[in-house]
Amino acid sequence: MSEVGLEEIEKKVTGESVPSQKAGFLSRIPWSSIGMPAVLILLCIGFGSINPNFWSMMNLTNVSRQISILALISIGQTFAILSGGIDLSVGSLLALVSVVTAQQMLNYGLWAGIAAGILVGAFAGLINGVLIAKARLPAFIATLAMLITARGVALTLSGGLPIDGLPSSFMFLGAGKIGPIPVPAVIAAVALLFANAILKRTRFGRYVYAMGSNEEAAMLSGISVVKNKIMVYVVSGTCAGIAGVVLTSRVISGQPTLGEVQELYAIAAVVIGGGKITGGVGGIWQTLMGVMILGVLANGLNLIQVSSYVQNIVIGVIIVLAVYVDLARERRR
Amino acid sequence: MNKRRLLATFAPILLLVLCSGVALVAQTAPKPTKQAAAKAAQAAKAAKPTQPGDEYPRPSKPAKQYTIGVLLPQLSNPHFVGQAYGYINEAEQLGARVILQDAGGYQYIEKQMSQMEDLIASKVDAIDLVATNGSGTIPAVEMAVRHGIPVINCNVMTDSKKVVARIRSDDQVAGRMEADFMAKALNGKGSVVMLRGPAGTSWAQIRGDSFKRRMAEIAPGVKIVGEQYSQSTPVEGLRLMEDFMQTYPRIDGVYNGADMTEIGASGAIKAAGKAGKIVVTTVDFQPESEKFMRDGVLSAAVVQQSVVIGRWCIRATVNYLEKRPVPPELWTPLLLITKDNLDKIDFRGVRAPAGWKPPSR
Repeated sequence: MSEVGLEEIEKKVTGESVPSQKAGFLSRIPWSSIGMPAVLILLCIGFGSINPNFWSMMNLTNVSRQISILALISIGQTFAILSGGIDLSVGSLLALVSVVTAQQMLNYGLWAGIAAGILVGAFAGLINGVLIAKARLPAFIATLAMLITARGVALTLSGGLPIDGLPSSFMFLGAGKIGPIPVPAVIAAVALLFANAILKRTRFGRYVYAMGSNEEAAMLSGISVVKNKIMVYVVSGTCAGIAGVVLTSRVISGQPTLGEVQELYAIAAVVIGGGKITGGVGGIWQTLMGVMILGVLANGLNLIQVSSYVQNIVIGVIIVLAVYVDLARERRR
Repeated sequence: MNKRRLLATFAPILLLVLCSGVALVAQTAPKPTKQAAAKAAQAAKAAKPTQPGDEYPRPSKPAKQYTIGVLLPQLSNPHFVGQAYGYINEAEQLGARVILQDAGGYQYIEKQMSQMEDLIASKVDAIDLVATNGSGTIPAVEMAVRHGIPVINCNVMTDSKKVVARIRSDDQVAGRMEADFMAKALNGKGSVVMLRGPAGTSWAQIRGDSFKRRMAEIAPGVKIVGEQYSQSTPVEGLRLMEDFMQTYPRIDGVYNGADMTEIGASGAIKAAGKAGKIVVTTVDFQPESEKFMRDGVLSAAVVQQSVVIGRWCIRATVNYLEKRPVPPELWTPLLLITKDNLDKIDFRGVRAPAGWKPPSR
């Protein structure tokens, strides 16, 4: 299969690059590059006008720090969903990574701990990938099983107890700053750029889109679906690994209870950004928009003192609205 | 066609209007009449010296209106509803404003951290922290202190040493009181299981350890056959107790770190027809616990004065902000409730008034 053919597949499915001539005003505006940022900016203006502290340097730093973890796991989720799958395991992986990182750090030092954490994430992703691509389990089932198993392993390894006494130099990763920018945000930004380059500029990236839009066609055109699918979940697991290490630093302890329901927020971020839950449509930029909308909402609603119960209602409504707007636009193409 | 275009255009705007609508309602929701009434009622009560919790007296009302952030770990727990009432009502007496935020469970350490950061950005005058986790909250406390916001640690402890004061009931004593009651009720021998509560919280650790130590001292004949940490919910308590009863055919006593697991465990014991045959002790006493005590399932409860904890925290916070000395440790009193004294207990220091709800914003 030539590169050209693949590009065509991609264009047909993502649709973003070829709006039809008849399309109305709104669908000619690229939603992800103008519409979503506009919503985001309006949200910020709204929050800022109610509580001016929203715009303070400190709060903006807070937001960037708070969304980093979600951004990291949402990168992996983007790969999984784009490829036509899903990764439900990332929330529990955060806990497993946290426990492993903390234990290995106490035993073998700072760097060994960090490496062990990322590796265990990648390894869990590999298991997910093999189960899905080789054993042909549905992604939902395989990663659901991992969600439950990883939590169990985290609790078993730690005996259910938090692991503290980590070196204070490790705090830099979660609480430090490079210039005015928090370290977790820097890590997330680098990861986002890197992932974007992979999706947009490598063969593997194209294959991810191709598998998600039509797996059979992808297979017939000579793509090794097995190999590439496994890669997708290794990427997702690695992202969870990095996120888990940063999160461990943020709470400066290994915690087996971390990350509950985070996988669902990652999925929400992908679909709010405009990713299609059945695969093939979406991207890192879109996901970042979703992550930022969720992050700004949580922070802004805290700042204007809306209770966390009401926050959940708002987020639910926004998921529905975001996907509905997307569908409405798509139907008119 | 037109309809759809209209919809697509207005959906994002609608979304925004909705958000700011929620925000505005939250911002402006007035409740002056209720507040005034409550204030008058409280002022009348405050005149009497018999109010529980007067051991750490209320300071005079400061000239400045302070804003105090209060972070709770689990507002679905009636103990923290009582405490929330304590913070809010005491703040009203002292002309202060409380921003109350709930993490939603001890496992949401990161959420509490974000709430802390958001309070710091909101430039509150001080933060009263009930920690979701001992070690996990260290960075958040240090961040507040770095930004010049004092942190008063209430009820559940952070491992950070940078807090201004710690206000709590003595969990060592609570565990010991449970052990004393249990040892006596079992005549010094029997098999006991422990439902400790969430790992990583100061209370689950200290109460449980203290119970075991005391039991080994005074009643070596009492054996701890099983112990489990779990989330602090009735469902977990029920599940653990059912499993314990399957695993150990003979259980004479059940220790609970707190009433959230106890009401689950009591339910399991009652359902198994073993009410009254097993000695059940706990800390805290929500209305459901009271029912189980009247039904003869729950034997004894060591009860924290939740409202008093909230009041003292606000008093200490205001004292600190007014540059008055604040003792580094303040211990709120504990009560032992059994069927015998149940009807004589003054619950004003323990529970919020009937029907009181934490503000929903």
